[in-house]
Amino acid sequence: MPEVILEAVDLKYSYPDGTNALRKVCLQVEKGERLAILGSNGAGKSTLFMQFNGIYRPNSGCIKYQGRDITYSNKALIELRKKVGIVFQDPDSQLFSASVYQDISFGPLNLGLSEEIVAARVKQALIDTETTDLVDKPTHLLSYGQKKRVSIAGVLAMEPEVIIFDEPTAGLDPRHALEFMQLLKKLRDSGKTIIISTHDVDLAYSFSDRIAIMCSGEIIGHGEPSELFLQSDLIQRADLALPWLIEMHSELVKKGWLPPSTPLPKTKEDLLRNIPPKSDQQSA
Amino acid sequence: MINIDCYAYSNNLRTVHPVEKSLFAMSTMVVCLTSTTVITPLIVLAFMAGGIIIRAGIPIRVFLNLMFVPLSFLFISVLTIAFSISTNPSGFWLAQTIKGLTIGIHYPDLITAIHLFLKSLGAVSCLYFLALTTPITEIITVLHKMKVPVIITELMVLIYRFIFVFMETATTIRRAQSSRLGYVSMKSSYRSLSRLFTSLLGKVFVKSQELYNAMAARCYTGEIKVLTKKYPISFRNYILIIVFELPLILLNLLGRS
Ligand SMILES: Nc1ncnc2c1ncn2[C@@H]1O[C@H](COP(=O)(O)OP(=O)(O)O)[C@@H](O)[C@H]1O
Ligand SMILES: [Mg+2]
Repeated sequence: MPEVILEAVDLKYSYPDGTNALRKVCLQVEKGERLAILGSNGAGKSTLFMQFNGIYRPNSGCIKYQGRDITYSNKALIELRKKVGIVFQDPDSQLFSASVYQDISFGPLNLGLSEEIVAARVKQALIDTETTDLVDKPTHLLSYGQKKRVSIAGVLAMEPEVIIFDEPTAGLDPRHALEFMQLLKKLRDSGKTIIISTHDVDLAYSFSDRIAIMCSGEIIGHGEPSELFLQSDLIQRADLALPWLIEMHSELVKKGWLPPSTPLPKTKEDLLRNIPPKSDQQSA
Repeated sequence: MINIDCYAYSNNLRTVHPVEKSLFAMSTMVVCLTSTTVITPLIVLAFMAGGIIIRAGIPIRVFLNLMFVPLSFLFISVLTIAFSISTNPSGFWLAQTIKGLTIGIHYPDLITAIHLFLKSLGAVSCLYFLALTTPITEIITVLHKMKVPVIITELMVLIYRFIFVFMETATTIRRAQSSRLGYVSMKSSYRSLSRLFTSLLGKVFVKSQELYNAMAARCYTGEIKVLTKKYPISFRNYILIIVFELPLILLNLLGRS
């Protein structure tokens, strides 16, 4: 039985203007897993993340960290935020300083670490996000993707247990999106729990150990990617598409190019490997 | 304004310790403002121009353009000091009498005016030296070290950052409006501009809320603590500053007595 690190229990939240953003969300996040929250725009992903970090307080229901309720006292909130880091969608609202170096050092200094340790952590975060050569530039002269990587570095430097990324690859070019995925792999290998939100089904499919599908403020389904994407009614209800890998695979099975027993491909390489050479087809 | 900001991040004196640059600029400015002869401001002007153009590598054109900014303003104020109008035509160094009124220049006034002009220009060049070689974020750090109240330095950090965020937002909105012919006539320009301000105000509100949330998420508890990059301290620079300032200070003192 894997350990549950973060949990939302019957979470309800509506914004002051009356928008019912979360209508009863139950979600368990297991320690060390890569969880993707999949949902179209306005499904409530960002709102849910704000709850995980204690920024918004639910109207009813609760957030549990390692089995214990969050009490929303200042001390408890700080403790939670040390463990659960969040990279926001818009880097412009996360970077508060014009200096890259100052911004990244902000989080770890708030943890009460000594200046030497903070300096070392900042250096490592700069390396991990490939932003070392941006350190002398002001944040307002960076491109969107560069700002995004700096804001990621600002959270990595705090070394939280759980890292939440809100729409991390939106606005990144393919090379940096790929590098970001590799960074995620590295983080997971070092034992971190990772939650990302996205509406990119291909990304969610290849990235995650588990997917939760969100639609109008509710989690309407969760499970392993390959199981979940076979429930096409669920996918349709959430206004999502199928990953191209699965679509391609089922088409190949339907037209007889692949035996129905072929396992679902997880990557492009898997799919290509599954397809038999032409000569085999003719001789068969 | 934006230009100055860009050069501050990419000049050849970028790696010099900000305290050394601030000390140099500020002490020179004080020396220049307290000068008693026109020689000091001239020396200051020459050194600052040299520092900005040769050492920092800022293009001459940029420096001259910047120096022209206060020039017209200075000129007008200096003229009012140099010229005087009087009914008594005696004592003028250069004068023109029309219908019993004499307009002209007294010699001591002329000297005062020229001195004031050069002093101001020298002081401005010191400020430009600092602004062109040192990013605002580092100037703020220096202020912080000088025990300027935290509330002021923190506000400076946030305001400086948000000037650029809002400028970008405003540019985006304006571009979107122009591309839909929002500024074709006087009337539509007024309307578009007022909408730009309204929506900018809304965005300011949302952005500031988001910023607060993002800072809270990184354990913000009311005080912005940041680490600044360490710069090597150069004793050579301190000695150079002393060697440069001392003769000028002596010159000031001699001129006074
Ligand atoms: N600050 C806010 N005030 C009022 N309503 C909001 C606010 N932020 C988001 N919403 C609304 O809450 C719903 C969920 O939004 P959000 O969590 O941002 O969705 P997602 O991140 O999945 O795109 C949307 O209907 C959105 O319009
Ligand atoms: Mg969102």
